[in-house]
Amino acid sequence: MNTIVPPKPPKSGVKTIRNIIIGIGMLALYIWTFATIEIPWDRIFSQRTIDNFDRVIPKLFSPDFTFASRVFEYMMETLFIAFTGSFMAAILAVPFGFFAASNINRNPFLNTLGKWILNADRTFPEILLALIFVVAIGPGAFAGVLAIAIHSVGMLGKLYSEVVESIDMNVVEAMEANGANKIQIFFYGIMPQVIPEFLSYAIYRFEIDVRASTVLGIIGAGGIGTLLVISSRNRNWDEVGMILLVIIIFVSIIDYISTFIRKRIV
Amino acid sequence: MIEMKDLSLVYPNGTQGLKNINVKINKGEFVVIVGLSGAGKSTFIRSINRLVTPTEGQLFVDDEDILKYKGKDLRKLRTKVGMIFQNYNLVKRSTVMKNVISGRLGHTGTLKSILNLYSKKDMALAYESLKRVNIEEKIYSRADQLSGGQQQRVSIARVLTQQPSVVLADEPVASLDPPTSHQVMKYLKKINSEDNITTIVNLHFIDMAMEYADRIIGMRAGEIVFDGPASKVNEKTFEEIYGRPIKEDDIRGGTEENVETP
Repeated sequence: MNTIVPPKPPKSGVKTIRNIIIGIGMLALYIWTFATIEIPWDRIFSQRTIDNFDRVIPKLFSPDFTFASRVFEYMMETLFIAFTGSFMAAILAVPFGFFAASNINRNPFLNTLGKWILNADRTFPEILLALIFVVAIGPGAFAGVLAIAIHSVGMLGKLYSEVVESIDMNVVEAMEANGANKIQIFFYGIMPQVIPEFLSYAIYRFEIDVRASTVLGIIGAGGIGTLLVISSRNRNWDEVGMILLVIIIFVSIIDYISTFIRKRIV
Repeated sequence: MIEMKDLSLVYPNGTQGLKNINVKINKGEFVVIVGLSGAGKSTFIRSINRLVTPTEGQLFVDDEDILKYKGKDLRKLRTKVGMIFQNYNLVKRSTVMKNVISGRLGHTGTLKSILNLYSKKDMALAYESLKRVNIEEKIYSRADQLSGGQQQRVSIARVLTQQPSVVLADEPVASLDPPTSHQVMKYLKKINSEDNITTIVNLHFIDMAMEYADRIIGMRAGEIVFDGPASKVNEKTFEEIYGRPIKEDDIRGGTEENVETP
């Protein structure tokens, strides 16, 4: 049997030259960067740095287990902040999602406005929103909840609108054709198609929010970050170690559960 | 009774969908519309339940001009004119029962339907419809677990649950294999004769048109170019309707015999 090798992909000279130019450009950029910056190697590897590492690192790896119950308490608060915030966002994002979906909101101006609102909302990081809410309503978990909720609406609204845009509109047409009104079409034709994806994204967002809310306490918006900032200011590195350990365990467990549930849903 | 008088439709992009259609379809007739794709078959049947709106002329369903209908009147019209689609258009993630009961939506109040409060009569009707197309054992299966032929039967059951006086079917067998196609056509024929439901079916397979139709309407470029009883139709007629010789693709072939039941 004679084997026929598939023909080589066509080569274009222009592309080769373009790639070579890009390669040279990148190389020049690296050389220029390393040639001009001064890296203070002596400061990085100074005796002081090494002493600090010697002092901190071993303590981080020998967490203070007597501290565990307090850490656990604050971690639960963090979870509650993330859950409440995600839950609020998961519901608030529904109207925004439909408003920004081009197959439901057919007015091009309003549709673009909807998408723009969600884009604008996403540009505010949680920590910035939390800063605003801590000032506006005082420090504590509620400020954190609002920061998480408002930020998550931006992302969930966008993801929801993409889900809505991908539904089978033929089903909607079939319902129209049997005399259903708009509300009935919404509940019978649209909701069954979008609910599983909505839920899946909401759970995914909760997973992200757990991570985000661990740092909110640093600026006074409640949760385990509060503890983190106190312990690190007091240089109790064994306590910080305990906090990090708890965060890592909780985040891993939640990631695992969330992936498991999301696989089952869709 | 359906009557079209000088009916024309021009789409916003300038395409002429229908051109001076004059036709009368009597109660209980089984009409098959044939023609090549783009001939205006879909536009023709979609005008009858106003999924598209003709731009000129008059269209009477039970002696009322439906072209003026809006909102509530339109929904009422659609409850008595049921429709079956090429791609079944079921809610794939919902159960068969939920899909079939949605045929009652036009007859049920908004709040009642949202809360799933259907009367015993409606539930019985839905179950009876499923039985008539022999798919009642799938009642609580999800629609996406069914084969194409089964899904089309569920969509027939949905239309039956609606208790329409007219059924429109837009290429109902185009996505099915030959044996299943014949099965679906037989069910359509059965409900047509048992319930005296006026049935209008779009097809492009000439053998199926000849086998199942009482009357055949041929369309080309938005116009009716043939209208007559199926008994008077032969291959020559189709060549005239299509404006070209008959090809292998125009014939479905096969019989119902080797279909897997159900």
